[in-house]
Amino acid sequence: MTANIFINGLQYLGYILIFPGFLFCFVCGMLLTGIDRKLVARMQKRVGPPILQPFYDFFKLCGKETIVPAAASRTTFLMTPLVGLAALVVIQLFIPIHGFSAFSGMADIIVILYLLLIPALAAILGAAASGSPYAGVGLSREMVTIISCELPLVLVLLAVAKTVGNAMGTGLCFSMSDIADYQVQHGSLITKLSMIPAAIAFAMVIPGETGSHPFDTAEAETEICEGMHAEYSGAPLAVFKLSHAIKVLTLTSLFVALFFGGIGTGLVALDGVIVFALCVIATALFISFVHAVTARLKIEQVFKYYWTVVSGLALVSLVLAWYGM
Amino acid sequence: MNLANMTDYHHFPIYAIMVLFLGAFVVSVAGTKPSRNLKNPAGARAWIALCATGLSLFFLVMLIKPVMLKGEIIAYWMGSRAIAGGYAIGIALEVDALSLFFALLIATAVFVSAIYSIRYMVHDDCVPQYYVLYCLLAGGVLGLVLSGDIFNMFVMVEILTFAAVALTAFRTKVYGALEAAFKYLVVGCMGSTAILTGTIMLYAQYHTLNLAQLASLIPGTLNNATKLAFAFLYIGFSTKAFIVPFHPLAADAHGAAPASISVLISGVLTKSGIYGIIRLTYFLFQTMNLGSMQFMLVFIGSVSMFVCVTMALAQHDFKRLLAYHSISQIGYVLAAVGLSTSLGISAGLYHAMNHTLFKGLLFLAAGAVLHETGTTDLGKLGGLSKKMPHTTALFLIGAFSISGVPPFNGFASKWMIYQASYQKAVETNNIGFLAVTIIALVTSTLTLASFVKVSQSVFFGQLPREYENVKEVPFGMRLAMGILAVLCILTGIFPNTVTGALTQPAARAVADVGEYITAMGFKSNLPVPEVSFVQAGVWEPINWLLILCIALLALTIVAVAGKYDRVSENEGEQVDTKYQLFYGGEKNVYSQVGGGDLFWGFKHNWRHYFDFMHDLHSGIVNDYALWAVVALALAIVYMMIVL
Repeated sequence: MTANIFINGLQYLGYILIFPGFLFCFVCGMLLTGIDRKLVARMQKRVGPPILQPFYDFFKLCGKETIVPAAASRTTFLMTPLVGLAALVVIQLFIPIHGFSAFSGMADIIVILYLLLIPALAAILGAAASGSPYAGVGLSREMVTIISCELPLVLVLLAVAKTVGNAMGTGLCFSMSDIADYQVQHGSLITKLSMIPAAIAFAMVIPGETGSHPFDTAEAETEICEGMHAEYSGAPLAVFKLSHAIKVLTLTSLFVALFFGGIGTGLVALDGVIVFALCVIATALFISFVHAVTARLKIEQVFKYYWTVVSGLALVSLVLAWYGM
Repeated sequence: MNLANMTDYHHFPIYAIMVLFLGAFVVSVAGTKPSRNLKNPAGARAWIALCATGLSLFFLVMLIKPVMLKGEIIAYWMGSRAIAGGYAIGIALEVDALSLFFALLIATAVFVSAIYSIRYMVHDDCVPQYYVLYCLLAGGVLGLVLSGDIFNMFVMVEILTFAAVALTAFRTKVYGALEAAFKYLVVGCMGSTAILTGTIMLYAQYHTLNLAQLASLIPGTLNNATKLAFAFLYIGFSTKAFIVPFHPLAADAHGAAPASISVLISGVLTKSGIYGIIRLTYFLFQTMNLGSMQFMLVFIGSVSMFVCVTMALAQHDFKRLLAYHSISQIGYVLAAVGLSTSLGISAGLYHAMNHTLFKGLLFLAAGAVLHETGTTDLGKLGGLSKKMPHTTALFLIGAFSISGVPPFNGFASKWMIYQASYQKAVETNNIGFLAVTIIALVTSTLTLASFVKVSQSVFFGQLPREYENVKEVPFGMRLAMGILAVLCILTGIFPNTVTGALTQPAARAVADVGEYITAMGFKSNLPVPEVSFVQAGVWEPINWLLILCIALLALTIVAVAGKYDRVSENEGEQVDTKYQLFYGGEKNVYSQVGGGDLFWGFKHNWRHYFDFMHDLHSGIVNDYALWAVVALALAIVYMMIVL
């Protein structure tokens, strides 16, 4: 009995620390950003950094001095990066990989939507605590970007819930593992006509949520000096960079889980590789390519774009799903 | 009467009300001269008020077991009068799980706010009078929710309205206090009069004032007079709940009143209005099975939700911002209750409870800022987290709760509301309810935005020079906030316990009107309803918290081992320039980004809407009175058509 609990505990600890927790997130997230940087560079006819560059950056930053500005609230300033990172890794645990999910039946898609707010909120509070006016402007823009992305995301998730719920006969289904199971049995959701606009809308949300071009108004190195990270240095900055990398992984794998689920073999290790490959494709298409061909928008344009074009697409999908198409 | 008889729990409801009114009396008998104790100018009178509110809470807590868990309904006749000749003569108290649920919220808020008041009211004049009004207000609201008699409800409404008006104007030196009180007086009296008019019309028709008897008589006998009465009563209770179109009053009243009173106005008075609306629609007229009535409540709830959250985004004052959020959250409650499903009612009541807790906490935090700095203007404050770390932490708990960030209580209840409205949409195949889900989800994010604004403008950012000597608030005030913060977290991470012990019995009471009628001794042939619900989604806060803690622990170990905390110290008199903020090489100056216009990127796109709202909320009491009249007229027309 005790041995059983011990083994179970060890297993869960393994989930949290190794796969699909910290180690997996760390390696895959960093690789994704590395690939992204390389691709953007190639598209812009530059040589670009090696794919492992984010790892080098991370470890180099960790060795640097951490400076806390005299105007900052020290504890909040230093703690928020860690909380944000931990919250992000926990979200990754709830996203199923093919049929496998580390912790099923604990949080559904609406909860995940709100759990995604925690890392963003941690970054915002850390920025606010730094006392820098650049960070102040940055967090204002970040919050508006969050509001912008929220409406399309909500619509997409409701459309998915309705489609899967229709098929299961319950009318609506918020459970992440049920959505994964449904796709294993019936094929990917993207094959449904009504889900195509939702998938496009979600793909458009990815660069906004991860703060990449053309929606990187919150960071905007050239105008507000990286905004929220203006005062960060050393290890906390490294943690923020890592969080950003993991966020790319989280959003792309959520995209894959929602619309390209059901592609897999049943072997967890192999499915992990497949999902990662799909994430790389999603990153290349929705982040790198968009990054290479667009310029930064103004914040009010970001808001308008998301609440009209992207929300419109998602709404089409929701209405189609509502009438069972 | 012997002791055993006196400690019978059937007497506890009246004890709970009585101690508060007795408290008011004793405080006033103790004289009006402030004591010489500078730390507590009210002297023993503050402790009397505290004891009265504490005792009241104690009596209500003792009722949880029989009423909530065993499902008993306490019907209590004042004096020895009861039913004579088939009609209820005399005043009755009737305490079912719904009444007790609201009474518990009220008593908790009143007790915590009384703890807070002791140190908070130190700098005010006339503190003894404050406690008289305080006890009267508390007694009035408690009497309202425990009463089993509609005229008695009206009397309590009058007591609480006048106590609330006087307390709003309590700080007469504060700019706008008298004006706010006057507005509240005018529109509040229109509301009270509407309740009285409705009561009279019902009495003329049915010759009784007892709620249970009215509930047994009214359904099925609706004529134009009763429909008119319904409209009057509905508008009357709406003014007490401050839902649209009565929301501007709340903003003025909260802005001017002392923070401890804002807690009562927001956490307690609005609840009495919601309670009145539930009693009116579910019990007296039993109209909630009609789609048109569901539409009305859900529509007004959604409008309140959205309009007030956008109004809050445009505010420049901490307490006015909180006031609008208060109504926005009440919109959630009303919309959920209006869904008329078991899950909806349960979710709405859960949110009502959470609203009392987190909104109380936020108002107390605003009061703490006001107490130390003398202002709540978002444009003037900043950087207080360095001077008031505990208040900041407590404020953040409240802010996360109201914004629906997991795992705090606001999320638990809002998440039930999303599911309830979506389920309702699926069941009735009505896409309108889906819009409610979307509005609720988006409103939640907008709420978060405006609390980010408050965090940045008040607690983070740069500290203005004039507040360098600000200190943390006294322990008594932090204690009051701490109690509410702990409750916010507990009700957030144990949602099943809370729904099982408190909201589900109350939701069952709402559904089981027949029991309410028969408990009072009247006949009812209403069937006993089936009250159960399944939740479509899953959320296990404890497990999530456990995983987060393990992850955070692992991360912290790595961070500490990797010398994450090896931070360059910036102590000493001469600060190295590298510890100054980065200004791109410019001179280091005070520059706080904050204030009311932080999210201009959002507001720019909605500028026409905001201009429209700005023009609409003129601040003139005549306009607001006109709104009340128009609302009443619309309600009458609507009731005549649909009922």
